[in-house]
Amino acid sequence: MQVWLPLALLLSLGVTHSLGQNAVGELPVPRGLMLQADLPAQTLFLTWESDSSLFDIEIFHTELMNVVLNETVAVQSNPATGQHGWSWHSPLPLECTSHSVLIRARNQQSVSQWSPLQTIPGSDIPEKSGPQMFPQDKLVAVGSNMTFCCIVGERQDFSKILYKGQEMSATRLSRRTYAITVTNQPPSGNTGTNVVCSSQMQILTGAVVFVGYPPGDEGLVCENRDLASAECSWKKGRDTHLRKKLSRTNYTLNGRDCLEANEGKIFRCNWTMWEGNWTLVARNPLGTVQLTDFARLTDRVHLLAPVNVTAVDIKAWNATLQWSWSIAAYKKLNMICQLQLIGHEHVITRNYSGMGLSFVVLEGLWPDIEYTVSVRCGSLHSFWKWGDESTPYRIHTKMDRPESLDVWIWMDSENTGHVLWKPLSVSESHGALDEYEVSYSKAEEDRWTTVSRPREDFSYPITLNNSGDITVAVAARNPAGLSQPSTVTAPVYRTDSQLSVSELLGTDGGFDVSWQLDANASRGYVVEWVPSGCSGLCPVHWEKVPESNGSIRVQSVSLEAGVRYTISVYVLSAGAPVLLQRWHGYTQEMIPSQSVGDLSANQLGSDVLLSWKAIAMEQQRGFIRGYTIYLANAASLELIGNVSNPEVKSYRVRGLSLGSYKFIVKAYTSAGEDTGSTVAIKLEMDTDMLVVGILVSLGAMFCCLILISIFCYKKREWVKKAFYPEIPGPKVPGDWSSPQGPLDVKPSPHSLVHIVESPEWDFRKKGLVPVPEEEEESENENVEVDTDSDEPALLRYYNQVVGDRSHSNHVSDSSGSSTTSVGSTQTEITYTGIQSPTSSQVTNGAGGYRPQMQSAAGPAEPQLGFDPDFQEESMNMGYKPQCSWQLDFPDAENFSGSLGSPTSVTSSQFLIPESSEEKPQPSNTWFHNLLSGKS
Amino acid sequence: MDRTAELDASVPGRSAAALARLLHRDCTRLLELYKERESFLSHHVPEGERLVTLALCPEALTTAEQVGHVRSALRRCKELLECLITREVEEMGKELEGEYESLRMTVKDRLGHFVHSTGALLENGEDGCPPSPNFECAEGQDEVEGSGSFAAKLWTYRVLLELIHWTDSACQTLHLFHTEKQGQQQLL
Repeated sequence: MQVWLPLALLLSLGVTHSLGQNAVGELPVPRGLMLQADLPAQTLFLTWESDSSLFDIEIFHTELMNVVLNETVAVQSNPATGQHGWSWHSPLPLECTSHSVLIRARNQQSVSQWSPLQTIPGSDIPEKSGPQMFPQDKLVAVGSNMTFCCIVGERQDFSKILYKGQEMSATRLSRRTYAITVTNQPPSGNTGTNVVCSSQMQILTGAVVFVGYPPGDEGLVCENRDLASAECSWKKGRDTHLRKKLSRTNYTLNGRDCLEANEGKIFRCNWTMWEGNWTLVARNPLGTVQLTDFARLTDRVHLLAPVNVTAVDIKAWNATLQWSWSIAAYKKLNMICQLQLIGHEHVITRNYSGMGLSFVVLEGLWPDIEYTVSVRCGSLHSFWKWGDESTPYRIHTKMDRPESLDVWIWMDSENTGHVLWKPLSVSESHGALDEYEVSYSKAEEDRWTTVSRPREDFSYPITLNNSGDITVAVAARNPAGLSQPSTVTAPVYRTDSQLSVSELLGTDGGFDVSWQLDANASRGYVVEWVPSGCSGLCPVHWEKVPESNGSIRVQSVSLEAGVRYTISVYVLSAGAPVLLQRWHGYTQEMIPSQSVGDLSANQLGSDVLLSWKAIAMEQQRGFIRGYTIYLANAASLELIGNVSNPEVKSYRVRGLSLGSYKFIVKAYTSAGEDTGSTVAIKLEMDTDMLVVGILVSLGAMFCCLILISIFCYKKREWVKKAFYPEIPGPKVPGDWSSPQGPLDVKPSPHSLVHIVESPEWDFRKKGLVPVPEEEEESENENVEVDTDSDEPALLRYYNQVVGDRSHSNHVSDSSGSSTTSVGSTQTEITYTGIQSPTSSQVTNGAGGYRPQMQSAAGPAEPQLGFDPDFQEESMNMGYKPQCSWQLDFPDAENFSGSLGSPTSVTSSQFLIPESSEEKPQPSNTWFHNLLSGKS
Repeated sequence: MDRTAELDASVPGRSAAALARLLHRDCTRLLELYKERESFLSHHVPEGERLVTLALCPEALTTAEQVGHVRSALRRCKELLECLITREVEEMGKELEGEYESLRMTVKDRLGHFVHSTGALLENGEDGCPPSPNFECAEGQDEVEGSGSFAAKLWTYRVLLELIHWTDSACQTLHLFHTEKQGQQQLL
């Protein structure tokens, strides 16, 4: 009831609307509006009656009053019925929801009242409570747009609509209807495109749409196979994507169904009669294609294959092939037939023509060859296409005698050679060979000697006598007979040294050889090539060239890159072949495969001479253009030389300093350098020269010494005066020249340097102040330690003395030092300036000069004589220098000035300047050492 | 061991049980292939009654009667499958020759073998249930969904589900039947 209420309201509204217009309009209201729906076509037909010809039409969805059309149309009445009719194509299936229509007449600006509302109910009315979807199973073209609606069942919820598995945006059209619009639809799969309407839980309903293309067939061609009927074929073209049986493309040829094509597997249509004009109509629900063809029967002959193909009368060089036709009408057709022979790796095609051709003679076959032959034919006039090919047929030709052999004699020495012949190919042997027959005749003999060689042999050794030439004839034998013998005379052997041999470089794996034509070449030339240096069974190749040719391209699979070949050209005449020209060549030069041999390095002073041996020819792999010499450093090679003359096999590396060197010598061809040989050498000093130098130096020095000695000897007087002047004797009163007895000079105990005068010193005490044993030892130890120091002992002693003087308050120390110094002076001090007589006196008598011998005499002795009066006493008692030294040389300047003087006393004690008592100057140190003999 | 094998081979119902298992596997595969073609059915669970329902038999059926029961159901399934094939061939022709098309024919043939072999197994006409009425192909479809291609797809899906259900039942029933018969023979 609730559903009917809005419908009733709408109806009453329509009536009210109509009545209202009546009140204001002058035009009559259209009458009898009737609606008819073509649901599959989604079209609504309207018919009404009116005197007007211009109308306003308004269509809307009834339930929600959504206006879908508001249009003014001009519609004339049908004269027969007097009714106006108008149709409207709805983008939405009319079943989706109810549609209502209003119409009114219009005349320019005046309009009639609206007609009563007419409604065509949809499928969403309450009476149809189940779920539904529209349209169902519709067939549309690819790219078209389409609207689907889903009417959910009563009390069912709506969730979504999926198109091809993809959720689409849905629009609500009524209480139960939802719609989606799909644009540009893609082609469907085999079973169509699914549109599914579902609730949250399950599938409610759905539809299938079939999207495809109209037919795309093309290229209709009709021909005949039997000179009577027609067979038309075409190409399918684009796939329609329509798989349903009823939507597949349907074909008709000249209005007749093509049953074979409609099966969907072949695109051909036959007809029993040739009609000349052909029209093929291809139709599917989405469109139609029409194809036409026009031709005469004789222009479209496509012959069937010949049958019963057989060969009759098979010979060595020809055979007769015959066949028959399955169509009798072919016998009257002027036809062309093509035979294809496949034999011995060759394909031969030959054409024959004739009326109803049914046999041909195959010429130009080769003996003992198996051929496979097939035949196909076509119409000779207005040739259309080749007919079907017959089943292949095999023919084996008979044997024949072999062809002549290509024979050559290669001389490997003056007296020996090899007769060589090339193997015959299958097409040349004309049957399997049995053997070869080699016949030879020597000049001095008038008979031929024949030997048989097995079919595997292709050479025969010969030996020449000194008497003359040898002529050889070789023939091949097969079951059909013996070939014509090939005759050749042995050429004269020539070594390379007997003629000028040129270099020849190949191109593209071969040699281009050319020579000056020779007038004697009545039988042409032979170009022979063999690996250089080969001996024994060598791969000798040759090529015969007509006499008019002066060049040839030597191209063979036997030619290898990096192999030196000797290419010789011989002149063929009535006599023996004569060598015309010879080359050595490489088809392609490569880098040497081996380095130079026996590389050695020899030192020549500061130079190094590198020498090596040439690479063997087999390993050269190219013409050696020279050698490069490298000095190998830690990380790189330094090019130091290039020997561009390959005959030179040494190199001198000059001006090397002492050290180790590594040299690498690489031979090079035009392709590059080899890996190189390495040699190392260590440059050392020349020992002989060193010895000589030393000896010369020593000799020169010795000579100088001799000269100096001689000079000194000669000038000894002058030298003596210059370096050792006479020291005047002391001038003393009295007679010193002849002493009566030994000089008894009692050394004064006070001759010791009397330096310390201590107020505390108790001179009245006899003897020495007792010194504890330990202290003495300690002092001795100090002395010993001091000997290791740089400070000279004598200087130390002096220092101690001076120190004692400066520190006179240390009585005991000074006495100790004095005691020690006595001992020291006893062994260290030399008196170079004191004459020996005095010394002898000292040693001979206790009373002699013993200035420093007190310790030997007894420690108490100096103290015994040590009294305040000793200065006066010493001044009066003779030898003064030591007594007066302290007074005369108070400083170093005076001291240095006294050195070297004949009167000086070279006692270190006296030479130490007072200023160096703490730290002596280094300049004096070495001198003191020298004087004291201390190292 | 050989004796046991011979005995087992001679026991009635063994080959029918094996055939039922094979059928169940084929039907499962057939449904997979159909879901691959119609992907919207991947997770679809149809509502409503089963397509194949048999008149209720008396309670406490014997095993032989249960065999007759599933035999009747599979005979109906076979009719449904034949109807399905006919409809698909009419609609699409014989142009499509994929695995699905060949397997559905295999299943149809094996169902025929199964019905025949189980008929021979039931020596005394132990069908147990009254014979099913003749099946009308068009009628069956209309009853279920309607006449559109989409409805046909849903119906095909339900037929395949029925096949799986009843072949599974046949497996279990025939296994039980075979076990009982084997026990009886050993007792003899």
